[in-house]
Amino acid sequence: MEVWNLVIANPVLNVLIALSHILGGEFGLAIIVLTVVVRLITWPLNKRQLNSTKAMQEMQPKIQELQKKYGKNQQKLQQEMMKLYKEAGVNPLGCLWPMLVQFPIWIALYQAIMNALATTPENLLNLAQRLYSWGIVNQAIPLSSQFLGLDLGQTASANGSLGLLLAIIVGGTMWIQQKMSQAPAVDPRQESTSRMMTLMMPIMFGFLTFTFAAGLGLYWAVSNMIGIIAQYFITGGWGYLKLRSPFGPTPVKGK
Amino acid sequence: MKQARVSLLIAIAVLPLVLVSCSGTPFSCSGAAQRTGGWSGPVFHDGIIYVGSKDGRVIAINASSREEKWQWPDTTGIRGLIYTTPIVDGDSVYVGTYSGKVLALNTSARSQDLPFPQNKYGEWEWDCPIENAKNNAIVADLLVSEVTIYVASSNGRVYALDKGSGDENWKREDLPVLAEKLWTSPVIQGNTLYVSTFDGHIYSLSSETGQSLNWSFQSEAGFTSSPLIYEGTLFLGSFDRYLYAIEMGSNVSMWKFPEEKPSGNWFWASPLVNEGIVYAGSLDGKLYAINATTAKEIWSYTTKDQAGKPSPIISSPVLIDNLLIVVNESGTVYVFDVSTEFGDEVVPLKAIPIGASVRSSLCAQDGLVYIRGEDNSIYVVDIGRGEIVEGWPLSLTTEQ
Repeated sequence: MEVWNLVIANPVLNVLIALSHILGGEFGLAIIVLTVVVRLITWPLNKRQLNSTKAMQEMQPKIQELQKKYGKNQQKLQQEMMKLYKEAGVNPLGCLWPMLVQFPIWIALYQAIMNALATTPENLLNLAQRLYSWGIVNQAIPLSSQFLGLDLGQTASANGSLGLLLAIIVGGTMWIQQKMSQAPAVDPRQESTSRMMTLMMPIMFGFLTFTFAAGLGLYWAVSNMIGIIAQYFITGGWGYLKLRSPFGPTPVKGK
Repeated sequence: MKQARVSLLIAIAVLPLVLVSCSGTPFSCSGAAQRTGGWSGPVFHDGIIYVGSKDGRVIAINASSREEKWQWPDTTGIRGLIYTTPIVDGDSVYVGTYSGKVLALNTSARSQDLPFPQNKYGEWEWDCPIENAKNNAIVADLLVSEVTIYVASSNGRVYALDKGSGDENWKREDLPVLAEKLWTSPVIQGNTLYVSTFDGHIYSLSSETGQSLNWSFQSEAGFTSSPLIYEGTLFLGSFDRYLYAIEMGSNVSMWKFPEEKPSGNWFWASPLVNEGIVYAGSLDGKLYAINATTAKEIWSYTTKDQAGKPSPIISSPVLIDNLLIVVNESGTVYVFDVSTEFGDEVVPLKAIPIGASVRSSLCAQDGLVYIRGEDNSIYVVDIGRGEIVEGWPLSLTTEQ
């Protein structure tokens, strides 16, 4: 725990508070700027995944050929697909790995939001032991949790309709991002799993946004939006968002 | 196979978030209603110790026999955490709660375990309005004058309640919003209340009407502690790690301590002033003795925990005759003889570990110091003998 605080949690907390002071006491803006910074730090990993997504898009004609050729032999089709992916050096799990890398940042950010906003007397007292001696940090305390009508220290559910809107934005942007990068399935069973994933993750994150402090939801929403923009420009468009499933009538609404 | 990998990824995604959510943060899985906490200190009156327990009960205990005289609410009616130290006035015990209530409890009525409130015994309960604020929690100690109780609320306002009835003495529409939240207590001098705020203001209010008076003070950093008034000067700590001395009526501070670079942490607790010397404990673990006029450091002493690391001083020091008593968070009670001229080395008269963490205020009475530990126990320290003479737990009705 000591190492976690020293290496990740406290630096995130202090940077967030310093940013808030620089940005005129706007804690919400500080979260947005920190999100951009995190995205920049994880950019090499994201870029690799985006390039992988782009490569998969470019492989579409070959994939369709394989589907025509081995459509009746699912096992063979899967083998050939995996072979093709392997040869091209792409990962069909799309954007999941960059997401995993961000977990420690999410946890640190969640802790930073709760600690920085010091919603309870204990939090404020504990905050004292986590702050650096930088003048900019100490002058920023205590922070205002209000941002665009949201109380960033309260759960999105406690923020009423604005909190609900935030949860919808988080879920919606995550769905778009996933659809953009999710490679088409190679068989109906995989298609079903893939569809479930594309729906499950946004619903889950929408729910988590509703349950956790709104500041974390703000981070997810901004992070997803940056992801969508980056993906749009790197892969040269909306990716798989407009692509129809080759298996049965499962319409995918594009933008 | 792939489905299993996807499920694993989802599980990995959810697990840390669930762990974080259950790690004792304000929005923990257990919910606020079951949270234990608060740092109500004990108060001694007429042989009885009154204290708020960590599960939100006010408990009266016979100081000699340790017998519990009464507790309120009973084990079935927990009403919220208590950060305020009870105030006893005659047969009445006043306490503010984190759930936004001020309670006037009558010792006779509570001893008989009568339903609350018993109006004929002068009992009442006041609900603090939330107004447009986030909440109405009462964290700061109440201030009691002859006929009025002054309450600083987390809704940013100060209220004046009639001691006998709990009726509000000031018109709500006249009350200024002083800050986003008020967790520091007002202090009074004459007909004026002084209130320090987290956003760096000190306001003066009329104790008769609650309206703002002409003088106010603004600092670059917020104030962490309630002010202490000594000879026309307010002494209080700030988030910028300085202790400030501000003359009433002045727009500039008289001094700030330390003179050069800031101290190691905030001056969280109000200081104590005795014979021209300010004694201030800091969250950096140091107790400072400062000349009240010149801000010159006379001496300082770093309190330690059991591992030898500095331990924060969270509660204000107290004085028994010429003995200055301070406790650090790790639970060591230090006693200094303030009549001693310390040379280069400051040596406490005694250092008494009580074996529990301490965040509550101290209560000094007849050579004894009463302390509520974070383990929800009451400790009695005999300062003369330099040892704990008693220590007993307050029973908890909810799990820690």
